[in-house]
Parts: sequence; C-alpha cells; structure tokens
Amino acid sequence: MEVKAFLGGLHVPHYKSFSEKQPIKVASLPEEIIIPLSQHIGAPCQPLVKVGDRVKAGEKIGEAESFVCAPVHASLSGTVKAIEKRPIHSGQMVECIVIEVDEQQESVGYANNDVEKMSKEEIIQAVKEAGIVGMGGAAFPTVVKIQPPPDKPIDALILNGCECEPYLTCDHRIMLEKTDELLKGVKLLQKVLDVEKAFICIEDNKPDAINALKEKNDDPNIVIMKTPTKYPQGAEKQLIKATLGREVPPGGLPFDVGALVQNVGTAVAVYEAVKYNKPLIERVVTVTGQNIDQPGNLLVKIGTPLEHLLAECGGIKEGPAKVIMGGPMTGVAQSDLSVPVVKGITGITVLPPAMAYGEPEYTDCVRCCKCVESCPMLLYPNLISIYGEVGLYEKAEKWNTMDCIECGICAYVCPSERPIVKFVQQAKPKIQKLQASRKNA
Amino acid sequence: MDEKKKLVVSSAPHLRDEGTVGKAMRDVFVALMPVSLVAIYFFHWYAVFIIGVCLVTAVLTEILFRKMLKKEPRLYDWSALVTGLFVALLFPATTAWWKAAIATFIAVGIAKELMGGLGRNRFNPALFGRVALIIIAPVMSFIDQQFSALYLNLGTVDSMTQATPLAMLHQGMEMPGYGQLFFAFPGGALGETSPFFLLLGAAYLFYKGHIGWRIPVSIVGTVFVLTFFFGANPLHHLLVGSLTLGAFFMATDWVTSPFTDKGKIIFGIAIGILIVVFRLGLSPTEGVAFSILILNGFVPMIENYTLRPQFGKVKKAVAVE
Repeated sequence: MEVKAFLGGLHVPHYKSFSEKQPIKVASLPEEIIIPLSQHIGAPCQPLVKVGDRVKAGEKIGEAESFVCAPVHASLSGTVKAIEKRPIHSGQMVECIVIEVDEQQESVGYANNDVEKMSKEEIIQAVKEAGIVGMGGAAFPTVVKIQPPPDKPIDALILNGCECEPYLTCDHRIMLEKTDELLKGVKLLQKVLDVEKAFICIEDNKPDAINALKEKNDDPNIVIMKTPTKYPQGAEKQLIKATLGREVPPGGLPFDVGALVQNVGTAVAVYEAVKYNKPLIERVVTVTGQNIDQPGNLLVKIGTPLEHLLAECGGIKEGPAKVIMGGPMTGVAQSDLSVPVVKGITGITVLPPAMAYGEPEYTDCVRCCKCVESCPMLLYPNLISIYGEVGLYEKAEKWNTMDCIECGICAYVCPSERPIVKFVQQAKPKIQKLQASRKNA
Repeated sequence: MDEKKKLVVSSAPHLRDEGTVGKAMRDVFVALMPVSLVAIYFFHWYAVFIIGVCLVTAVLTEILFRKMLKKEPRLYDWSALVTGLFVALLFPATTAWWKAAIATFIAVGIAKELMGGLGRNRFNPALFGRVALIIIAPVMSFIDQQFSALYLNLGTVDSMTQATPLAMLHQGMEMPGYGQLFFAFPGGALGETSPFFLLLGAAYLFYKGHIGWRIPVSIVGTVFVLTFFFGANPLHHLLVGSLTLGAFFMATDWVTSPFTDKGKIIFGIAIGILIVVFRLGLSPTEGVAFSILILNGFVPMIENYTLRPQFGKVKKAVAVE
C-alpha cells in the first residue's frame, strides 16, 4: 500500500549509508552509568536508592506518583556512587543517579510470560513498570499514551518506521533484525487499544525493511505502508495525514482524529516488557557521521556516557567537530561529552570540521518564500522569524508559532541563513507566558 | 583547549542547503547575460558603455550609502550588480551616460539602501530608478542642454536610429516578422532586444528554483487575453517592449512580490491588466515598469487576503479503509 505525500516538506540528503548496513552490535560496558531521574516528558522521578546501595541490572531506582511519568531502572549492576545534578544532552542540569559499574554483572532475572493470555490491565501494568517512553525522540511515557481518554475512540494505530531524519538508521536496523518482536509488539498495542487496524509506515528508501516486514507479517489487519521519502515524513501529524488523510487540528493531539502513533522501537520495547517483564534499560543508538571512525548501530545501556560510546566507535576523526545528540535536523549539539545516553536518544551524529559551523551570520529576510513553500505545518516561518527576531511575541503568536514542530526545514532552506528554529524556540516560552498572563487577567 | 578536541555548537538544524542570497543573485546576473550580449551585438560600444556605467555606479553607490548608514558593505551578495545591470537593460543605447548613472544611484541608494537594504525595500529598485528618471525628465532635459558637450561619440551604429518596435506598434507602422521580434530585433531598451534570449535566462532561473511560474504566466496570459479581447494583436504585445523582462525578471523579484501562491497570481493578473490599460488606453506609454511598481505597493494587502489555512484547519472526515 502506498500513500500520497503531505504538503510542504523537502528532500534532504539522507546520509544513511554510513550505518545502514551495520548490524546491531552490543556496546561494551562503561565504568560508570548516569541515570537521569527525568528522561521523559512529565514529572521527574524520586530516587528509591541512596548513595552506597548496591543495585542489580533491571532494578527500579526511581519512581514518581504522577500519572505522566515513567520509572527509571539501573541498566547495570553496581554501587550507587552519587545522587546529584549532572548535565544532560539538553544542556540542563538534572538530578541523576550515578552508578559505579561492577565487573561481574548481576541481573534481577526476567520472566517468560505467555503474552496471549495476558489481560489488557496486565499489559498496561507491565508497560508502566518497564518505564517505557516514546523512543523516537519525544520520550512521552508510553503508558499514558496507550490509555487515551474514553471519549476519544481510536480506530487506527500507526507504527512510525519512517526515520526521515538524515543519518539515523536505528529504526531501520530494528525493523530488519527484530521483525518478529515488532509484529508481536504491534499486536499487543492493538489489543490494549482495542484497535483493529494497524499501519507500519516506512519510507521507500528502506525497501529491505518493507520486504522483511511483508514477509513475516501474516495478519491482514497489519498493513505495511510505503511512504514517500520526504522530510519530515516521520513527524506525527504529517504521518497521520499521509496514512489516514486526517489532519490533527492545531493544538490537538492524534487521538482527536482517532489515531495513535508509536515508534517501531517503542513497539519492540513494549513486547519485551510484556513478555519478559524487562524494563527499558537499553536501546539501539546509531553512532554515525563523516567524522566518526567506525559508524554503527549499537545496543547501548541507558546511562552510558557519550564519550564512552564515541570511543567504542573509534572516536572522533578530526576536530573541530560537531557532536549532535539525535540527527542533524532536530538534534542538539553537545559541548560536554560526559552526558549520558537516555531513553529518547536515537543517535549520535558526528560532523566533520567542514560541516561543523557555529551560529550562522544571517541577514534580512529577502522574502524568497522557500520556507513558506516547504513548511509542513503550512505556517509562515518568514514572518515568525521576523517577529521573533525583534521580540514582537504577540505578533509571533498570531502567526501560529506555537504550532511549529521545529522540523528545521525553514532554516535549512533559508538563503539568508536565518536561524528560524532558534527564533521559534526563543518565542515559544515567551508566548506561553503571554497566554498564561491573559488567563489570569 | 586543543583544537582537535574542540566541539562546535549551534542551534538546530545542523544541515543547510547550498543556496544563499549571493548565489541566487549571481544566477540572476548570469541569466541576464544572453540578452546583454544581444544588446552588445546590436549597439556595440554604446551598450557596453551603458552597462559598465551602471555597474560601476551601483557598486559605488552601495559602498557610499552603507558607509553613511554605518553598515558593512555587502557587495558579495551581488545585489548591487544585479540592480545595476537591470537599470542598464531598461535604457536605450542612445541614453546619456549620466542619466543611466543617476537612475542607478536612485535605484541602489534610495530605493534599496535607504529603504533598509535588501529585503526591506518595498519597490523594485531598478524599476524605481528608471521611473524616477521619467518623472524628473523636465529637470533632466534642462541639464541635458547644459552638458550636451559631454556626449560621447563611440562611432556610428545603424541600429541606434531604428524606431522601437513599441513605437512602431503604436503608430500603426508595418511590424517586423514574429520570428525577428522573438529572436532579436534592435530598437528600444537594451533588455528589449530579444524575448528569446531573455526566456533562455528565465528558464535557467526556473531550473534553479529562483522564480516560479505563477507571476510570469499570469502577466503574460492576462496581456494576451486582454489585447486579443480589445482587438489588438496579442502576439505583437507580448513580443515588444519590456514585457518579457518585466514579467520574468522584475515582477518575480523575491523582495517585492507576494509570498502567497494565490497572491502571486492576483499580483500577475493585476500587472497584466495595468499593462494593457497603459498600452491601449494611454498610448504611447510602455507601462510595464509603472504597472509592476504600482502593484509592488499593493503586495502587503494582497498577501493579507490570500493567506493559506495552517495545517489541520481544514476539517475532513476520513474513514479507515
């Protein structure tokens, strides 16, 4: 089954060849792991351990009472060395549990459940305990997502295997190497959500993944969909539009149009959580770019420091480099390589000196319309950037800055090199403040 | 810190496409080369001289004004050179060099730099400079008399005395063949000599993604339909004057045309209507320059009425197949 492209968007270079043929490899153990107590959207966890405690791999070490939350687990066994604020990839300082890793590893031991016999409630409980969050990058707690409000019936489950972000190949490898687990995970999600139809959407630049899934899938209610390769095909709203022809209204969520989108990696994690009661303590991370010696896809323990992972892949070839957590369109450039890999990290992109530019020197908008033509949210990034630049946030709000998905296309095409996404990111909190003060007034 | 270990940071996205304003402007300059060569072929040193004067004036004016405004010079973005070349192409080869220089000075200095620089100018600078010279013509003719000794004699060129095709059209004279008008015919401004070679340049800009079809097609289409409707020869009206230059190169100027798709079409149709009004109703005015400039002023209004709904604003019920 094929679908039509959404409006806007752009063909950006793929740069997938560095790592797309590299099978998933288990990364070596670091000496220290750093588990942030907040790796998700929602309330941070409270530590369940104290300094000096010994923990086993898979042991729950942080939890919160809040509904929108995901517990965190020790990804390796060892001794709790510190509970303190450490920098994470977003640049913030976050409370982290630092564990000194043992040489001899010890695990909590996993079950082997008969998933067919498990009830909805048991599945939800297993997902909750495992601390699963959206693994495509947003890191929204999955347990919340699979319990939509009863007045918002869902009739389509969409599995996002587009991986439209350049360079990244972790979802691609998961679809190839964990095909069975993915299909079983999809069935579990269908059961929990009471959804008959599921769509696994893959961009047509990954024909091997499409074929592998088509071969293994025997369920007519799971449709393997080939989507055009166009950035940002994997953005939630654009994917729903392409798959179902439905448009999520501004400010709305997928369930407003009866849809639910999960990343393919999340579906695999759901299966492993339900089948083995295995918490989310490891994930596949693509380490890639022109400037890394041995690019690859690694199965990494959550909390592994970035520098350990870079060393594992042969290290950075030449400096000055740019190390990005995530892909180059939406990822965050790092200044500190001690930050840990968390649940929502899809990849690490290392760019060579020639591509590692700092903030560009930008000039006035020349109204070329390239951003207007390619904005997938059909906004006017040109105006948003002009108002954002001079701090006219009420104007920026009027031009729907809050609906921007920050895909980066506008800044990518801008011939004046305007940092449009940066202006949006600066404007959003200011607009939120404006909206809050209006509510209070 | 060790250079090798240095990490560069910036906001996302960390990839950018190759396109810059400078490269786009350079492409426009390149796209104007074919017609400039045709003009030089017909008018020899007169054309070379006018183009040279305008380019030099444009560069000097930009340096001067940016210095006065305490801004860094931005010659690398090619916009001064492009404006200079446009101004030159809007003048006939017989024009006094200092008239072309004044027009260029007004275009780059007043219509562009004083308006805030490239991107903030509301009116197409080259057209503004050209039209300003028409408006101050009485002053010009006075100066002309004082400085008549300054005219250069660059040799005799037959095509200089050729009546412009537009004038021939207005006076009901017998017109040259369509093929000749289309490929190359002397007379009129430098940029009016060859629609074919202009289209060649426009095709290059289209291929490069710098211009779209909406504005030129709606201008040309409107002029064709209306002249036909009023009983004039539509092909003659398309082939003479600066219609091709205006529709494909000047009206499509990024800065001074609407950024909405529908707006571009309305903008083009309105320019087409005005051109026909000028040409048929107010003969013998050429009208292309005035029409585009007038519509430049309406761009913000056109944009306001043609905004698209954002993603998700159109509600459609679609069932799962």
